Amino acid sequence: MNRLLVVRCPGLLDEDEGGAALRSFVEVVDAVEAYCPWVTTVRPGICSLPTRGPARYFGGERSLAQLVTDATAAITAVEVGVADGLFAAVLAARSGLVVPPGGTPDFLAPLPVSVLGHPELAELLDRLGIRTVGDFAALPESHVLGRFGADGALCHRVASGRSGELGELRQPVPGRTVDGPRPGGRRAGPVGEPGFWGGVSDTDARAGRALASVQELIGPDGVTTARLRGGRDPVQRARFVTWDAREGHDDSTLGAPWPGRIPPPAPAVVHPALLHAELADADGRAVSVSGRGLLTGVPGRLSVEQGAWSAVTAWAGPWPSDERWWSRSRRRSARLQAVTGAATRLLLVERGRWWVEATYG
Amino acid sequence: MFVASPDRRDVDTPPPGPSPRRSLDRERDLASLALLAERTRPVSSSQTRLLPVLPPLADLLPDGALRRGSTIVVAGPAGGTDGDITVALALLAAASGAGSWSALVGVDDLGAVAAHDLGIDLDRLAVVPHPGAAWAEVVAALVEGVDLVVLRPPFPPRPAMARRLVARVRERRSVLVVVPGRSGWPDHPDIQLRIDDLRWEGVGTGEGYLSGRRMTLTATGRRSAARPRHRRLWMPSPTGAVADAGGEAPAGAVPQP
Repeated sequence: MNRLLVVRCPGLLDEDEGGAALRSFVEVVDAVEAYCPWVTTVRPGICSLPTRGPARYFGGERSLAQLVTDATAAITAVEVGVADGLFAAVLAARSGLVVPPGGTPDFLAPLPVSVLGHPELAELLDRLGIRTVGDFAALPESHVLGRFGADGALCHRVASGRSGELGELRQPVPGRTVDGPRPGGRRAGPVGEPGFWGGVSDTDARAGRALASVQELIGPDGVTTARLRGGRDPVQRARFVTWDAREGHDDSTLGAPWPGRIPPPAPAVVHPALLHAELADADGRAVSVSGRGLLTGVPGRLSVEQGAWSAVTAWAGPWPSDERWWSRSRRRSARLQAVTGAATRLLLVERGRWWVEATYG
Repeated sequence: MFVASPDRRDVDTPPPGPSPRRSLDRERDLASLALLAERTRPVSSSQTRLLPVLPPLADLLPDGALRRGSTIVVAGPAGGTDGDITVALALLAAASGAGSWSALVGVDDLGAVAAHDLGIDLDRLAVVPHPGAAWAEVVAALVEGVDLVVLRPPFPPRPAMARRLVARVRERRSVLVVVPGRSGWPDHPDIQLRIDDLRWEGVGTGEGYLSGRRMTLTATGRRSAARPRHRRLWMPSPTGAVADAGGEAPAGAVPQP
């Protein structure tokens, strides 16, 4: 399960008439993005980022949480927390906690079952004398699906720390994309029934049943499928959504022309979280990209995730991108292709920091 | 919604913790059902023995295609992983384009654009990025209805588990492509594909861009496939596809450094 840092703005959870809350929230997201370009908006007032890369860079999750708190304090009151999976991370933020890796089930255990956000389930559990998340998690999984249905089983997986989130948590934020499992990502009703597939084919129905049984094994959000849309780079063009037999497919923007796109072929490996990188010239001096989009030195060697330096034998770029020009804090970044003996990388540089975004694996 | 329902199950999966007798009955039922299906249904794709591969890869395989029920292991150069996922995806491409379902297990960093450009139908590709400790069970469940499964085991597999999985794949007539990385695969696959001499073209010291990669693929196997077969390929080619690279650049290949 992903380690996530969640920023929760209690004052910005509800949209107001003039959109001021939303504008403040966008400022918060911009400020957080200074620490990691990969910020996901969960719903208005809440955003998350994977801590893996940035925590190493900024000396641990605690100092990352502190930096994010300081960076956003001037905009609005924020609560920051870290835990495994989105559900626990939001609760950790409400208490301002950094839950240590693997400590999420212990963190959740003493909380009342009502935090799962299903009042009917909470009432039923209460009648059975089950008051805390820990008590609920202790029920054998095989009994949960039968007694409490698919929603109950999903809550149980989250309670016991085997799944990271409940779909209901996410809500679209106007003007921003929301990735990840969507509400309603759960399967309901028999798969392969006419209507889902429109009687497409036996092949699709068989596959649907196989995927549904995988979902029963590891949880509904464990099976995903990829969608493409127009975009500047291979990372932005793809997103993964929870597989759902009822979903139609929509790739209308696929192949839409988009200036500034990095030429094909696309990298076969896109890292789910950016990897921290350092790029230096042959003498070890750091190389960056100037405000005019030019390299400040000749790339000579590359280190990824503080690993050993490897020689850069060829490179191409930089391709500057000036994304989100509408935002007040304009975000300047550029990309570089770098060939080393071990791997060929697509690098991203932003505010003087290098990251590995993808690998031509 | 949360009313107690004693046995509400949506699909015909076995109940949790089935008794051995019950699963035996079930297997017998399935076998007779399969027999019945074979007699009553015209030959459909799931009844054929072979699944197509992209033409440049055909010479590497003993039948010029993927044999249903077989297991293929892809190994990167010098025990590394460089290029292994591209080769695995390329193996799926033709069958996927022809309507087969495929799945990736343990691959949490798929470049979906690259997969699409190789010819994979993303609408019929399921990705199980984090199967965790249940990875073998996930593969076993998938081969019930998915023709091609790419597996990157999240933990080094034990030999007994690998053998069981291979037997299951053979029985369900799917194709398993394993990218084991450094941990290796503790079983002799039907086909082993090794990658050598990777070289990206089109990029220099600051000029051009990555336009394509050449590699040598060597296939070795058992019985009829025992003799090693070599092939020099563009993978990916300048369009993101697979092309023959018998020393020459394919049409449309751009600037050499």
